[in-house]
Amino acid sequence: MGDTRLISNPQRMSGDEINPAAVAQAVEDVQGDDRWMSQHTRFVQECKDAEPEVLFIGDSMVQLMQQYEIWRELFSPLHALNFGIGGDTTCNVLWRLQNGELDNIRPKVTVVWVGTNNHEHSAEQVAGGILAIAQLLTSRLPKTKVVVLGLLARGDGPNPLREKNAAVNGFLRSWLPRLGQAQFLDVGAGFVHSDGTISTRDMFDFLHLTAAGYRAIAKPLSDLLLQILDETPEEKRASLV
Amino acid sequence: MALSTPRLLVRFLGGRNLLYGGAPFPSEQTPGDSKTRNEETDKVMSSGDSNPAATPTPCVDIQGDGRWMSLHNHFVSNSKDKEPDVLFVGDSLVQLLHQFEVWRELFSPLHALNFGVGGDETQHVLWRLSNGELAHISPKVVVLWVGTHNHSHTAEQICGGIMAIVQLIKDKLPKAYTLVLGVLPRGKMPNPLRERNAQVNKLVKDAVSSLPHASLLNVDPGFVHSDGSISHQDLYDFLHLTPQGYQAVCQPLHAHLKGLLEKQAEN
Repeated sequence: MGDTRLISNPQRMSGDEINPAAVAQAVEDVQGDDRWMSQHTRFVQECKDAEPEVLFIGDSMVQLMQQYEIWRELFSPLHALNFGIGGDTTCNVLWRLQNGELDNIRPKVTVVWVGTNNHEHSAEQVAGGILAIAQLLTSRLPKTKVVVLGLLARGDGPNPLREKNAAVNGFLRSWLPRLGQAQFLDVGAGFVHSDGTISTRDMFDFLHLTAAGYRAIAKPLSDLLLQILDETPEEKRASLV
Repeated sequence: MALSTPRLLVRFLGGRNLLYGGAPFPSEQTPGDSKTRNEETDKVMSSGDSNPAATPTPCVDIQGDGRWMSLHNHFVSNSKDKEPDVLFVGDSLVQLLHQFEVWRELFSPLHALNFGVGGDETQHVLWRLSNGELAHISPKVVVLWVGTHNHSHTAEQICGGIMAIVQLIKDKLPKAYTLVLGVLPRGKMPNPLRERNAQVNKLVKDAVSSLPHASLLNVDPGFVHSDGSISHQDLYDFLHLTPQGYQAVCQPLHAHLKGLLEKQAEN
Protein backbone atom coordinates (compact mmCIF):
# COMPACT_ATOMS: atom_id res chain seq x y z
CA MET A 1 0.00 0.00 0.00
CA GLY A 2 1.53 3.30 -1.03
CA ASP A 3 5.12 3.66 -2.08
CA THR A 4 6.98 0.86 -0.32
CA ARG A 5 10.28 2.61 -0.89
CA LEU A 6 9.09 5.07 1.74
CA ILE A 7 9.50 2.39 4.37
CA SER A 8 13.23 2.27 3.96
CA ASN A 9 13.56 5.95 3.21
CA PRO A 10 10.55 8.01 4.30
CA GLN A 11 12.44 11.18 3.45
CA ARG A 12 11.94 10.43 -0.23
CA MET A 13 8.71 10.09 -2.15
CA SER A 14 8.48 8.11 -5.36
CA GLY A 15 10.80 9.45 -8.05
CA ASP A 16 13.31 10.53 -5.43
CA GLU A 17 11.43 13.71 -4.46
CA ILE A 18 12.05 14.74 -0.90
CA ASN A 19 9.13 14.11 1.42
CA PRO A 20 8.41 17.57 2.84
CA ALA A 21 6.70 16.03 5.86
CA ALA A 22 9.99 14.36 6.79
CA VAL A 23 12.08 17.53 6.66
CA ALA A 24 12.97 18.83 10.12
CA GLN A 25 11.77 22.38 10.61
CA ALA A 26 11.53 24.70 13.58
CA VAL A 27 8.48 26.94 14.01
CA GLU A 28 9.21 30.55 13.18
CA ASP A 29 8.10 33.15 15.70
CA VAL A 30 5.63 35.21 13.70
CA GLN A 31 3.43 36.25 16.60
CA GLY A 32 6.20 37.95 18.57
CA ASP A 33 6.43 36.15 21.92
CA ASP A 34 8.68 33.25 20.91
CA ARG A 35 6.56 30.68 22.68
CA TRP A 36 7.48 27.68 20.54
CA MET A 37 11.17 28.08 21.21
CA SER A 38 10.51 28.72 24.91
CA GLN A 39 8.63 25.44 25.14
CA HIS A 40 11.36 23.56 23.25
CA THR A 41 14.04 25.05 25.53
CA ARG A 42 12.08 23.98 28.59
CA PHE A 43 11.86 20.41 27.27
CA VAL A 44 15.61 20.29 26.59
CA GLN A 45 16.18 21.44 30.17
CA GLU A 46 13.80 18.76 31.44
CA CYS A 47 15.95 16.14 29.70
CA LYS A 48 18.86 17.20 31.88
CA ASP A 49 16.94 16.74 35.12
CA ALA A 50 14.53 13.89 34.49
CA GLU A 51 14.82 10.14 34.03
CA PRO A 52 11.60 9.27 32.23
CA GLU A 53 10.56 5.73 31.48
CA VAL A 54 7.98 6.99 29.01
CA LEU A 55 8.25 9.94 26.65
CA PHE A 56 5.20 11.43 24.95
CA ILE A 57 5.95 13.60 21.91
CA GLY A 58 3.64 15.31 19.44
CA ASP A 59 1.16 18.12 18.99
CA SER A 60 -1.68 19.58 21.07
CA MET A 61 -3.29 16.15 21.41
CA VAL A 62 -0.26 15.21 23.51
CA GLN A 63 0.14 18.60 25.17
CA LEU A 64 -3.42 18.99 26.37
CA MET A 65 -3.48 15.54 27.94
CA GLN A 66 -1.13 16.73 30.64
CA GLN A 67 -3.63 19.37 31.74
CA TYR A 68 -6.29 16.82 32.63
CA GLU A 69 -6.54 14.71 35.77
CA ILE A 70 -6.04 11.53 33.70
CA TRP A 71 -2.37 12.37 33.24
CA ARG A 72 -1.70 12.43 36.96
CA GLU A 73 -3.76 9.26 37.42
CA LEU A 74 -2.36 7.05 34.68
CA PHE A 75 0.84 8.48 33.24
CA SER A 76 2.71 10.36 35.95
CA PRO A 77 3.05 7.08 37.88
CA LEU A 78 4.83 5.64 34.85
CA HIS A 79 7.42 8.45 35.07
CA ALA A 80 6.26 9.99 31.84
CA LEU A 81 7.47 13.22 30.25
CA ASN A 82 5.20 15.24 28.00
CA PHE A 83 6.84 17.04 25.07
CA GLY A 84 3.71 18.03 23.19
CA ILE A 85 3.43 21.44 21.50
CA GLY A 86 0.15 22.71 20.06
CA GLY A 87 0.15 23.16 16.31
CA ASP A 88 3.19 21.00 15.66
CA THR A 89 3.55 19.07 12.42
CA THR A 90 5.80 16.05 11.81
CA CYS A 91 8.49 18.49 10.62
CA ASN A 92 8.46 20.38 13.91
CA VAL A 93 8.63 17.21 16.01
CA LEU A 94 11.54 15.96 13.91
CA TRP A 95 13.41 19.22 14.49
CA ARG A 96 12.84 19.10 18.24
CA LEU A 97 14.01 15.50 18.50
CA GLN A 98 17.13 16.35 16.52
CA ASN A 99 17.87 19.42 18.61
CA GLY A 100 18.06 18.29 22.19
CA GLU A 101 14.78 16.72 23.23
CA LEU A 102 16.34 13.26 23.27
CA ASP A 103 19.57 14.21 24.96
CA ASN A 104 20.44 12.46 28.24
CA ILE A 105 17.25 10.47 28.50
CA ARG A 106 16.61 6.78 27.92
CA PRO A 107 12.86 6.19 27.99
CA LYS A 108 11.77 2.59 27.59
CA VAL A 109 8.78 3.66 25.53
CA THR A 110 8.12 6.67 23.34
CA VAL A 111 4.56 7.55 22.41
CA VAL A 112 4.26 9.52 19.18
CA TRP A 113 1.06 11.40 18.33
CA VAL A 114 1.35 13.90 15.49
CA GLY A 115 0.12 14.44 11.93
CA THR A 116 -3.31 16.06 12.19
CA ASN A 117 -1.79 19.53 11.68
CA ASN A 118 0.17 18.63 8.51
CA HIS A 119 -2.24 20.58 6.30
CA GLU A 120 0.21 21.10 3.42
CA HIS A 121 0.98 17.41 3.00
CA SER A 122 -0.75 14.38 1.51
CA ALA A 123 -1.72 11.40 3.64
CA GLU A 124 1.21 9.42 2.28
CA GLN A 125 3.63 12.24 3.04
CA VAL A 126 2.29 12.60 6.57
CA ALA A 127 2.64 8.87 7.19
CA GLY A 128 6.18 9.11 5.82
CA GLY A 129 6.91 11.93 8.24
CA ILE A 130 5.64 9.89 11.17
CA LEU A 131 7.70 6.94 10.01
CA ALA A 132 10.77 9.16 9.87
CA ILE A 133 10.11 10.14 13.50
CA ALA A 134 9.83 6.47 14.51
CA GLN A 135 13.06 5.68 12.68
CA LEU A 136 14.86 8.58 14.33
CA LEU A 137 13.72 7.36 17.75
CA THR A 138 14.83 3.79 17.22
CA SER A 139 18.19 4.87 15.88
CA ARG A 140 18.84 7.38 18.72
CA LEU A 141 17.40 5.12 21.44
CA PRO A 142 18.08 1.56 20.31
CA LYS A 143 16.35 0.01 23.31
CA THR A 144 13.18 2.08 23.12
CA LYS A 145 9.85 0.78 21.95
CA VAL A 146 7.84 3.21 19.86
CA VAL A 147 4.07 3.41 20.04
CA VAL A 148 2.48 5.50 17.30
CA LEU A 149 -1.08 6.59 18.01
CA GLY A 150 -3.46 6.73 15.10
CA LEU A 151 -4.83 10.09 14.05
CA LEU A 152 -8.34 10.71 15.29
CA ALA A 153 -11.32 11.66 13.18
CA ARG A 154 -12.15 15.37 13.32
CA GLY A 155 -14.93 17.75 12.36
CA ASP A 156 -18.62 17.66 13.16
CA GLY A 157 -19.59 15.45 10.21
CA PRO A 158 -17.82 13.56 7.40
CA ASN A 159 -15.18 15.72 5.68
CA PRO A 160 -11.94 15.36 3.69
CA LEU A 161 -9.71 15.60 6.78
CA ARG A 162 -11.33 12.51 8.26
CA GLU A 163 -10.58 10.61 5.08
CA LYS A 164 -7.04 11.92 5.08
CA ASN A 165 -6.38 10.97 8.70
CA ALA A 166 -7.84 7.51 8.09
CA ALA A 167 -5.55 7.13 5.08
CA VAL A 168 -2.53 8.11 7.19
CA ASN A 169 -3.51 5.45 9.69
CA GLY A 170 -3.82 2.91 6.89
CA PHE A 171 -0.26 3.54 5.72
CA LEU A 172 1.06 3.39 9.28
CA ARG A 173 -0.71 0.12 9.98
CA SER A 174 1.19 -1.60 7.19
CA TRP A 175 4.50 0.24 7.45
CA LEU A 176 5.18 0.37 11.20
CA PRO A 177 5.34 -3.35 11.97
CA ARG A 178 8.28 -3.62 9.57
CA LEU A 179 10.22 -1.30 11.82
CA GLY A 180 10.56 -3.96 14.50
CA GLN A 181 10.45 -1.85 17.62
CA ALA A 182 7.50 0.25 16.54
CA GLN A 183 3.81 -0.47 16.70
CA PHE A 184 0.60 1.28 15.76
CA LEU A 185 -2.23 1.79 18.25
CA ASP A 186 -5.63 2.92 17.05
CA VAL A 187 -7.41 4.77 19.85
CA GLY A 188 -10.09 6.33 17.67
CA ALA A 189 -12.82 3.71 17.95
CA GLY A 190 -16.15 5.01 19.14
CA PHE A 191 -15.73 8.72 18.48
CA VAL A 192 -17.70 8.78 15.25
CA HIS A 193 -21.33 7.90 15.86
CA SER A 194 -23.52 5.92 13.49
CA ASP A 195 -24.88 9.15 11.99
CA GLY A 196 -21.35 10.30 11.18
CA THR A 197 -21.21 12.95 13.87
CA ILE A 198 -18.68 13.55 16.61
CA SER A 199 -19.98 14.81 19.93
CA THR A 200 -18.62 17.88 21.71
CA ARG A 201 -18.73 15.69 24.82
CA ASP A 202 -15.71 13.88 23.36
CA MET A 203 -14.07 16.65 21.32
CA PHE A 204 -15.01 20.11 22.55
CA ASP A 205 -14.17 21.74 19.22
CA PHE A 206 -14.48 18.64 17.04
CA LEU A 207 -10.69 18.24 17.22
CA HIS A 208 -9.39 18.46 20.78
CA LEU A 209 -10.42 15.95 23.42
CA THR A 210 -12.43 16.66 26.53
CA ALA A 211 -11.65 14.97 29.84
CA ALA A 212 -14.10 12.23 28.84
CA GLY A 213 -12.48 11.88 25.45
CA TYR A 214 -9.04 11.48 27.00
CA ARG A 215 -10.38 8.97 29.49
CA ALA A 216 -11.56 6.83 26.59
CA ILE A 217 -8.18 6.76 24.86
CA ALA A 218 -6.03 6.67 27.96
CA LYS A 219 -7.20 3.25 29.09
CA PRO A 220 -6.04 1.19 26.05
CA LEU A 221 -2.87 3.29 25.88
CA SER A 222 -1.93 2.86 29.51
CA ASP A 223 -2.70 -0.86 29.30
CA LEU A 224 -0.28 -1.17 26.39
CA LEU A 225 2.37 0.91 28.15
CA LEU A 226 2.14 -1.19 31.29
CA GLN A 227 2.47 -4.31 29.17
CA ILE A 228 5.56 -3.00 27.40
CA LEU A 229 7.17 -1.73 30.60
CA ASP A 230 6.48 -5.09 32.20
CA GLU A 231 8.16 -6.93 29.37
CA THR A 232 11.17 -4.64 29.22
CA PRO A 233 13.96 -5.99 31.40
CA GLU A 234 15.46 -3.54 33.84
CA GLU A 235 18.95 -2.66 32.70
CA LYS A 236 20.54 -3.53 35.97
CA ARG A 237 18.80 -6.87 36.06
CA ALA A 238 20.07 -7.66 32.58
CA SER A 239 23.65 -6.84 33.52
CA LEU A 240 23.57 -9.28 36.43
CA VAL A 241 22.81 -12.22 34.17
CA MET B 1 -2.24 25.21 14.23
CA ALA B 2 -4.23 23.18 16.63
CA LEU B 3 -5.43 25.74 19.15
CA SER B 4 -4.80 28.99 17.36
CA THR B 5 -5.98 28.57 13.85
CA PRO B 6 -4.37 31.06 11.48
CA ARG B 7 -6.86 33.36 9.84
CA LEU B 8 -4.71 33.79 6.76
CA LEU B 9 -7.37 34.66 4.22
CA VAL B 10 -8.82 37.50 6.23
CA ARG B 11 -5.34 38.84 6.84
CA PHE B 12 -4.47 38.74 3.13
CA LEU B 13 -7.48 40.90 2.46
CA GLY B 14 -6.10 43.42 4.90
CA GLY B 15 -8.95 42.68 7.26
CA ARG B 16 -11.54 44.04 4.85
CA ASN B 17 -14.43 41.67 4.75
CA LEU B 18 -14.88 41.88 1.03
CA LEU B 19 -16.53 38.49 1.06
CA TYR B 20 -18.80 38.84 4.01
CA GLY B 21 -20.59 42.15 3.78
CA GLY B 22 -19.78 45.53 5.17
CA ALA B 23 -18.70 48.44 2.98
CA PRO B 24 -15.67 47.28 1.01
CA PHE B 25 -14.43 50.75 0.22
CA PRO B 26 -13.86 53.46 2.81
CA SER B 27 -15.47 56.09 0.57
CA GLU B 28 -18.79 54.30 0.85
CA GLN B 29 -19.03 55.03 4.50
CA THR B 30 -20.83 58.31 5.13
CA PRO B 31 -19.93 60.46 8.09
CA GLY B 32 -22.21 59.81 11.00
CA ASP B 33 -22.62 56.18 9.92
CA SER B 34 -21.11 54.81 13.06
CA LYS B 35 -22.65 55.00 16.48
CA THR B 36 -22.64 58.07 18.74
CA ARG B 37 -19.23 59.53 18.18
CA ASN B 38 -17.05 61.46 20.49
CA GLU B 39 -13.34 61.94 20.70
CA GLU B 40 -12.86 58.80 22.72
CA THR B 41 -14.69 56.64 20.20
CA ASP B 42 -12.77 58.12 17.29
CA LYS B 43 -9.53 57.44 19.08
CA VAL B 44 -10.37 53.79 19.63
CA MET B 45 -11.72 53.28 16.11
CA SER B 46 -14.91 51.44 16.88
CA SER B 47 -16.54 52.50 13.61
CA GLY B 48 -16.83 49.32 11.61
CA ASP B 49 -15.18 49.68 8.28
CA SER B 50 -12.05 51.59 9.17
CA ASN B 51 -11.19 49.01 11.82
CA PRO B 52 -10.92 45.40 10.68
CA ALA B 53 -10.93 44.27 14.31
CA ALA B 54 -14.40 45.79 14.66
CA THR B 55 -15.87 44.49 11.40
CA PRO B 56 -17.92 41.31 11.88
CA THR B 57 -16.05 38.57 10.04
CA PRO B 58 -16.65 34.83 10.08
CA CYS B 59 -13.74 32.41 9.86
CA VAL B 60 -13.00 30.94 6.48
CA ASP B 61 -12.50 27.17 6.61
CA ILE B 62 -8.99 26.74 5.30
CA GLN B 63 -8.28 23.41 6.96
CA GLY B 64 -11.18 21.48 5.42
CA ASP B 65 -13.39 20.30 8.28
CA GLY B 66 -15.57 23.37 8.82
CA ARG B 67 -15.11 23.27 12.57
CA TRP B 68 -15.54 26.97 13.22
CA MET B 69 -18.94 27.13 11.59
CA SER B 70 -19.93 23.82 13.22
CA LEU B 71 -19.14 25.26 16.62
CA HIS B 72 -21.06 28.45 15.88
CA ASN B 73 -24.11 26.46 14.75
CA HIS B 74 -23.76 24.25 17.82
CA PHE B 75 -23.81 27.32 20.07
CA VAL B 76 -26.85 28.77 18.32
CA SER B 77 -28.89 25.58 18.56
CA ASN B 78 -27.59 24.82 22.05
CA SER B 79 -28.90 28.16 23.26
CA LYS B 80 -32.47 27.47 22.20
CA ASP B 81 -33.46 25.55 25.29
CA LYS B 82 -31.16 27.15 27.80
CA GLU B 83 -31.75 30.08 30.13
CA PRO B 84 -28.30 31.12 31.25
CA ASP B 85 -27.79 33.93 33.73
CA VAL B 86 -24.20 34.29 32.58
CA LEU B 87 -22.71 33.94 29.11
CA PHE B 88 -18.96 33.55 28.65
CA VAL B 89 -17.85 34.46 25.15
CA GLY B 90 -14.42 34.78 23.57
CA ASP B 91 -11.42 32.78 22.44
CA SER B 92 -9.51 29.69 23.58
CA LEU B 93 -9.07 31.06 27.08
CA VAL B 94 -12.86 30.95 27.43
CA GLN B 95 -13.20 27.66 25.59
CA LEU B 96 -10.62 25.77 27.63
CA LEU B 97 -12.14 27.04 30.89
CA HIS B 98 -15.17 24.92 30.09
CA GLN B 99 -13.06 21.74 30.06
CA PHE B 100 -11.71 21.90 33.57
CA GLU B 101 -13.19 21.14 36.96
CA VAL B 102 -13.17 24.84 37.86
CA TRP B 103 -16.11 25.40 35.48
CA ARG B 104 -18.31 22.87 37.23
CA GLU B 105 -17.20 24.16 40.61
CA LEU B 106 -17.64 27.88 40.12
CA PHE B 107 -19.65 28.70 37.01
CA SER B 108 -22.18 25.91 36.43
CA PRO B 109 -23.86 26.89 39.71
CA LEU B 110 -24.28 30.40 38.27
CA HIS B 111 -26.11 28.93 35.25
CA ALA B 112 -23.41 29.86 32.80
CA LEU B 113 -23.04 29.04 29.11
CA ASN B 114 -19.70 28.93 27.33
CA PHE B 115 -19.34 30.22 23.75
CA GLY B 116 -15.56 30.25 23.51
CA VAL B 117 -13.82 29.36 20.24
CA GLY B 118 -10.07 28.80 20.07
CA GLY B 119 -8.21 31.28 17.93
CA ASP B 120 -11.06 33.77 17.72
CA GLU B 121 -10.22 37.43 17.29
CA THR B 122 -12.55 40.30 18.13
CA GLN B 123 -14.08 40.42 14.64
CA HIS B 124 -14.95 36.71 14.80
CA VAL B 125 -16.70 37.05 18.14
CA LEU B 126 -18.52 40.09 16.76
CA TRP B 127 -19.76 38.04 13.81
CA ARG B 128 -20.89 35.13 16.00
CA LEU B 129 -22.85 37.38 18.33
CA SER B 130 -24.39 39.19 15.36
CA ASN B 131 -25.46 35.93 13.75
CA GLY B 132 -27.55 34.04 16.24
CA GLU B 133 -25.56 33.36 19.39
CA LEU B 134 -27.55 35.98 21.32
CA ALA B 135 -30.85 35.36 19.61
CA HIS B 136 -32.40 32.92 22.07
CA ILE B 137 -30.98 33.88 25.44
CA SER B 138 -31.11 36.77 27.88
CA PRO B 139 -28.19 36.43 30.25
CA LYS B 140 -27.86 39.00 33.00
CA VAL B 141 -24.09 39.18 32.58
CA VAL B 142 -21.91 38.60 29.55
CA VAL B 143 -18.27 37.85 30.32
CA LEU B 144 -16.13 38.84 27.33
CA TRP B 145 -12.55 37.63 27.01
CA VAL B 146 -10.93 38.19 23.63
CA GLY B 147 -8.15 40.13 21.93
CA THR B 148 -4.96 38.17 22.45
CA HIS B 149 -5.17 36.51 19.02
CA ASN B 150 -5.61 39.75 17.03
CA HIS B 151 -2.09 39.52 15.62
CA SER B 152 -2.44 41.85 12.68
CA HIS B 153 -4.09 44.64 14.65
CA THR B 154 -2.83 47.46 16.81
CA ALA B 155 -3.83 47.89 20.44
CA GLU B 156 -6.17 50.71 19.36
CA GLN B 157 -7.85 48.51 16.77
CA ILE B 158 -8.23 45.64 19.22
CA CYS B 159 -9.79 48.00 21.77
CA GLY B 160 -12.13 49.19 19.04
CA GLY B 161 -13.07 45.60 18.34
CA ILE B 162 -13.81 44.91 21.99
CA MET B 163 -15.88 48.10 22.27
CA ALA B 164 -17.82 47.12 19.16
CA ILE B 165 -18.73 43.86 20.89
CA VAL B 166 -19.74 45.75 24.05
CA GLN B 167 -22.00 47.98 21.94
CA LEU B 168 -23.51 45.01 20.11
CA ILE B 169 -24.35 43.29 23.38
CA LYS B 170 -26.00 46.50 24.60
CA ASP B 171 -28.07 46.64 21.43
CA LYS B 172 -29.20 43.04 21.59
CA LEU B 173 -29.47 42.62 25.35
CA PRO B 174 -30.35 46.06 26.75
CA LYS B 175 -30.54 44.80 30.33
CA ALA B 176 -27.30 42.82 30.34
CA TYR B 177 -24.06 43.86 32.00
CA THR B 178 -20.85 43.21 30.09
CA LEU B 179 -17.78 42.29 32.09
CA VAL B 180 -14.69 42.56 29.91
CA LEU B 181 -11.76 40.54 31.22
CA GLY B 182 -8.31 42.02 30.79
CA VAL B 183 -6.10 40.28 28.27
CA LEU B 184 -3.41 38.30 30.06
CA PRO B 185 0.33 38.66 29.61
CA ARG B 186 1.92 35.98 27.42
CA GLY B 187 5.29 34.58 26.43
CA LYS B 188 7.94 33.29 28.78
CA MET B 189 9.84 36.60 28.99
CA PRO B 190 8.95 40.26 28.27
CA ASN B 191 7.96 40.77 24.64
CA PRO B 192 5.96 43.15 22.39
CA LEU B 193 2.74 41.17 22.79
CA ARG B 194 2.75 41.75 26.53
CA GLU B 195 3.01 45.47 25.89
CA ARG B 196 0.28 45.33 23.30
CA ASN B 197 -2.06 43.42 25.61
CA ALA B 198 -1.38 45.81 28.49
CA GLN B 199 -2.14 48.74 26.19
CA VAL B 200 -5.40 47.09 25.08
CA ASN B 201 -6.44 46.75 28.71
CA LYS B 202 -5.63 50.38 29.43
CA LEU B 203 -7.56 51.64 26.40
CA VAL B 204 -10.58 49.46 27.14
CA LYS B 205 -10.60 50.48 30.79
CA ASP B 206 -10.72 54.13 29.71
CA ALA B 207 -13.39 53.47 27.11
CA VAL B 208 -15.77 51.65 29.47
CA SER B 209 -15.25 54.04 32.36
CA SER B 210 -18.17 56.18 31.27
CA LEU B 211 -20.51 53.26 30.59
CA PRO B 212 -22.99 52.10 33.24
CA HIS B 213 -23.45 48.69 31.58
CA ALA B 214 -19.85 47.56 31.23
CA SER B 215 -16.53 47.42 33.04
CA LEU B 216 -13.07 45.89 32.70
CA LEU B 217 -11.85 43.41 35.28
CA ASN B 218 -8.14 42.71 35.55
CA VAL B 219 -7.90 38.96 36.21
CA ASP B 220 -4.12 38.68 36.19
CA PRO B 221 -3.27 37.49 39.69
CA GLY B 222 0.40 38.32 39.11
CA PHE B 223 1.54 35.74 36.60
CA VAL B 224 4.67 37.71 35.74
CA HIS B 225 7.41 37.08 38.29
CA SER B 226 9.95 39.65 39.44
CA ASP B 227 12.44 38.46 36.82
CA GLY B 228 9.86 39.05 34.09
CA SER B 229 9.20 35.37 33.51
CA ILE B 230 5.91 33.51 33.34
CA SER B 231 5.78 29.95 34.64
CA HIS B 232 4.55 27.00 32.61
CA GLN B 233 2.77 25.90 35.78
CA ASP B 234 0.38 28.82 35.24
CA LEU B 235 0.40 29.13 31.44
CA TYR B 236 1.45 25.73 30.10
CA ASP B 237 2.53 27.09 26.72
CA PHE B 238 3.01 30.65 27.96
CA LEU B 239 -0.42 31.57 26.57
CA HIS B 240 -3.06 29.08 27.76
CA LEU B 241 -3.93 28.54 31.40
CA THR B 242 -3.33 25.37 33.36
CA PRO B 243 -6.05 24.27 35.81
CA GLN B 244 -3.93 25.94 38.52
CA GLY B 245 -3.77 29.12 36.46
CA TYR B 246 -7.54 29.06 35.99
CA GLN B 247 -8.10 28.69 39.73
CA ALA B 248 -6.03 31.82 40.36
CA VAL B 249 -7.98 33.75 37.72
CA CYS B 250 -11.42 32.37 38.46
CA GLN B 251 -11.71 32.66 42.23
CA PRO B 252 -11.77 36.49 42.15
CA LEU B 253 -13.78 36.44 38.91
CA HIS B 254 -16.39 34.24 40.51
CA ALA B 255 -16.67 36.52 43.52
CA HIS B 256 -17.02 39.55 41.25
CA LEU B 257 -19.65 37.82 39.13
CA LYS B 258 -21.72 36.87 42.15
CA GLY B 259 -21.65 40.50 43.22
CA LEU B 260 -22.80 41.63 39.77
CA LEU B 261 -25.61 39.09 39.65
CA GLU B 262 -26.84 40.14 43.07
CA LYS B 263 -26.87 43.78 41.95
CA GLN B 264 -28.74 42.84 38.75
CA ALA B 265 -31.31 40.97 40.84
CA GLU B 266 -31.88 44.06 42.97
CA ASN B 267 -32.58 46.28 39.93
